[in-house]
Amino acid sequence: MKLNIEGLLVYFPYDYIYPEQYSYMLELKRTLDAKGHGVLEMPSGTGKTISLLSLIVAYQRAFPLEVTKLIYCSRTVPEIEKVVEELRKLMEFYTKETGESNNFLALALSSRKNLCIHPEILHANIVVYSYHYLLDPKIADLVSKELAKKSVVVFDEAHNIVHLTEFISNVARETDIYLANPVLPDEILQEAVPGSIRTAEHFVGFMRRFLEYLKSRLRVQHVVQESAPQFLKDVFDKVCIDRKPLRFCAERLQSLLRTLEIADIADFSAVTLISNFATLVSTYSQGFTIIIEPFEDRTPTIANPVLHFSCMDPSIAIKPVFQRFQSVVITSGTLSPLDIYPRILDFRPVTMASFTMTLARTCLCPLIVGRGNDQVALSSKFETREDFAVIRNYGNLLLEMSAIVPDGIVAFFTSYVYMENIVASWYEQGILENIQRNKLIFIETQDAAETSMALEKYQEACENGRGAILLSVARGKVSEGIDFVHHYGRAVLMFGVPYVYTQSRILKARLEYLRDQFQIRENDFLTFDAMRHAAQCVGRAIRGKTDYGLMIFADKRYARADKRGKLPRWIQEHINDGSLNLTVDEAVQLSKHFLRQMAQPFRQEDQLGLSLLTLEQLESEEMLQKITQIAHQT
Amino acid sequence: MGSAQGGRVRLTQSHSGRDTVPVQTEKMRHLYVVIDCSRSMEDQDLKPNRLTSTLKLMEAFVDEYFDQNPISQVGIITTKNKRAEKLTDLAGNPKKHITALMKAVDTVCVGEPSLYNSLNLAIQTLKHMPGHTSREILIILSSLTTCDPANIYELIKTLKSLKVRVSVIGLSAEVRVCTVLTRETGGSYHVILDESHFKELLMLHIKPPPASSSSECSLIRMGFPQHTIASVTDQDAKPSFSMSHLDSSSGPGLSLGGYFCPQCHATYTELPVECKVCGLTLVSAPHLARSFHHLFPLQAFIESPVENLQGDRFCQACQAELKDKSVFSCPSCHSVFCVECDLFIHESLHCCPCCIYRQTAP
Repeated sequence: MKLNIEGLLVYFPYDYIYPEQYSYMLELKRTLDAKGHGVLEMPSGTGKTISLLSLIVAYQRAFPLEVTKLIYCSRTVPEIEKVVEELRKLMEFYTKETGESNNFLALALSSRKNLCIHPEILHANIVVYSYHYLLDPKIADLVSKELAKKSVVVFDEAHNIVHLTEFISNVARETDIYLANPVLPDEILQEAVPGSIRTAEHFVGFMRRFLEYLKSRLRVQHVVQESAPQFLKDVFDKVCIDRKPLRFCAERLQSLLRTLEIADIADFSAVTLISNFATLVSTYSQGFTIIIEPFEDRTPTIANPVLHFSCMDPSIAIKPVFQRFQSVVITSGTLSPLDIYPRILDFRPVTMASFTMTLARTCLCPLIVGRGNDQVALSSKFETREDFAVIRNYGNLLLEMSAIVPDGIVAFFTSYVYMENIVASWYEQGILENIQRNKLIFIETQDAAETSMALEKYQEACENGRGAILLSVARGKVSEGIDFVHHYGRAVLMFGVPYVYTQSRILKARLEYLRDQFQIRENDFLTFDAMRHAAQCVGRAIRGKTDYGLMIFADKRYARADKRGKLPRWIQEHINDGSLNLTVDEAVQLSKHFLRQMAQPFRQEDQLGLSLLTLEQLESEEMLQKITQIAHQT
Repeated sequence: MGSAQGGRVRLTQSHSGRDTVPVQTEKMRHLYVVIDCSRSMEDQDLKPNRLTSTLKLMEAFVDEYFDQNPISQVGIITTKNKRAEKLTDLAGNPKKHITALMKAVDTVCVGEPSLYNSLNLAIQTLKHMPGHTSREILIILSSLTTCDPANIYELIKTLKSLKVRVSVIGLSAEVRVCTVLTRETGGSYHVILDESHFKELLMLHIKPPPASSSSECSLIRMGFPQHTIASVTDQDAKPSFSMSHLDSSSGPGLSLGGYFCPQCHATYTELPVECKVCGLTLVSAPHLARSFHHLFPLQAFIESPVENLQGDRFCQACQAELKDKSVFSCPSCHSVFCVECDLFIHESLHCCPCCIYRQTAP
């Protein structure tokens, strides 16, 4: 259909449209009009991709001087493929409707293995690739250097963007080998190498001294935490190494290796690591922390000193993107609370909006189970983890659910250790045996091959009627990448609140930094992070409006307003006051009723006029009025 | 939506969706009903428990079924403990089935059902049925899991090739494998909301399904034996064993009368039956007459707003004042009926009372 969005003609390659798609495109247009950045939250499975593409392509055609390029960044290769599919459909629609073959060039770049730096990228109107191409300094320079300012950048499924710090942090161990990637400002690259390390012998001697110093630092008996400037001062005091030559270490080493014509650089990876570390620590005075741990917390008797050099500031990698490009849109199904992103990533958006799904029938059923049948409170709080009654109640919940939910159930735990402990306990109590009479049980482990096999068998069991349960972890591979559509996930159980391991020193340092720089309270950030992961996990079960599923939050803490309020709006609006602190039995009753309702026939005609619109229905006054209520501005 | 209100909507939906063109339906149906007897049937969300409720409804079903499909046959299979076994064989006599169903109330519900084994068991008999008859399986499934010894998708392909139509009534929730099974074989899949909905869904299967276009030719050979009653003093009377008692536990009894197959003179005590000796279908004329209305269904009445009526506003059938918003009128005699009578006429009577009156009146 051809839409008119505030005067812009948009070609939309489908005959029907969801009201929220229209609302989304409206907000998007306003963001582009204002030439600013936007944060938009819309549930997955509601046609976000095609809405983005349709509107931005239409904008490009209407205002070719304002927007020269669309850079669409996604996370995984399957997602990129989906985007390309939709793009193809859109292009075909254009050709069919306008009768002329369009001269749009779209490029898709796949995994890092197939790195492509062909100059054609400069002429492309649309580029689809993974985040790394834009953010990871190793590649960004090669690929994205020439991208013009008047481009629109879209980060899809962008909820993980806060963890960009992985790109830049650097870990040095006495025993292990890692590779790092320096982010160097241009000024350093232009300056000349200082005299003290210009000759090869001097440079090698310099590196030796630095290495000895590092070794001595690693021989501490207790944990040390210091900022980069403190570290540099200490270096100067102990071994008289200045800041300036340190900055050029990485470059100097590279040129030395080139001169010696070393073929296999892998032999020198340890030295490269040290030189990169030296460069980084001397370049950035703010935003990095050094933590030296003499041993791992869990094995205090084994000496295993590690030096962590971590980036505290998530905005360092992405700030150049916000500054360089005219409009950056961050979008995902789980971005609540939206105001965290502008604060942490240090940018000012012109739009921040959250969209809900219009539903002809309510296809999700979020329930908060806070108590067992014996009224014992359920929680994954550290203090209550070993509590026999809590474990038994969790087991009972899973057992009851396995008897009433058809096909597949996915259960998420807060950590591998917790999952292992609980499952062992259940085995002893005989709960696992009872569950297995209803459904088969599969478990995710830290081994990728095992997990793939488990996933495959799980899907098979869901297909052929035996039914299965998949036990996995909230921050694991499964929760990030796999969708459990339709029968693969009829219920998702969240056992506990998935807080990240709070005793980690790096995390503590990061929280302190966020508190000092951005005035974000530690508790707020931790809760935000935990709730986002929880929403991510339960969101896996619903992909689209004909899909339906149960979302069980099994922890009494979810009922509190500060946690509930951090769930995405499209989940929150279906939690009513009656489902806040249910016992296992009550939850089972509600679930049974819900599943029966969902099993009744539901045809497209039932949706028309409500959650699915034809062009005529869209343009009626009444509908346009309703659409304005879908977007919730923050 | 409450179930009473929902029921009303459902009924009117099925009424308005009726074809006015007579559609050829299957007359000779071979239907296997598979009843789940697994652990989950002990659940008490249907009173007194699922099994008892199901068996009770099945008794009503069997009665009604033979009423509407006099020359069809039914067989009952139960499944539990990963196995399937026949409760009753395919037969045209309702009494046998009802007796078995009444006894089955005492079965112990244990283990998990096996869809594969049930379907396989049914196929063993159904595949020998002639091509002009229908082959159907109706599964009443309460459990959400099934223990199958082999790939059920292969079996689904076999079912398709044998033209067996499988339908499922679920008592708990929607299971994927049932959705695929019913879709591929052309059957229907419903999940019950409550007891009255269960009854409704079950009764939907009494109506014969439309004949598939690929069924073979439609001329069927049938025999119409007369019932003879002879006394010992008759000279021609010869005692004979009734063939229908061949496999019953009460010993074979000699009888003087009965129904004699016109082709081979084998004796039977009841009709309808398929002759065991020569394979001829034996029926009586009233049996066929009962399914007449499926061949020539009553036309849907014309709905019109009550305001358009001139003269007295009362229903021709029940003589009550017309209070509804719309009325129905018969296209041939133009008599006017209220909503309730219209439903009754189409569901039970199958003929317009005023047309009949006019026909029989002098």
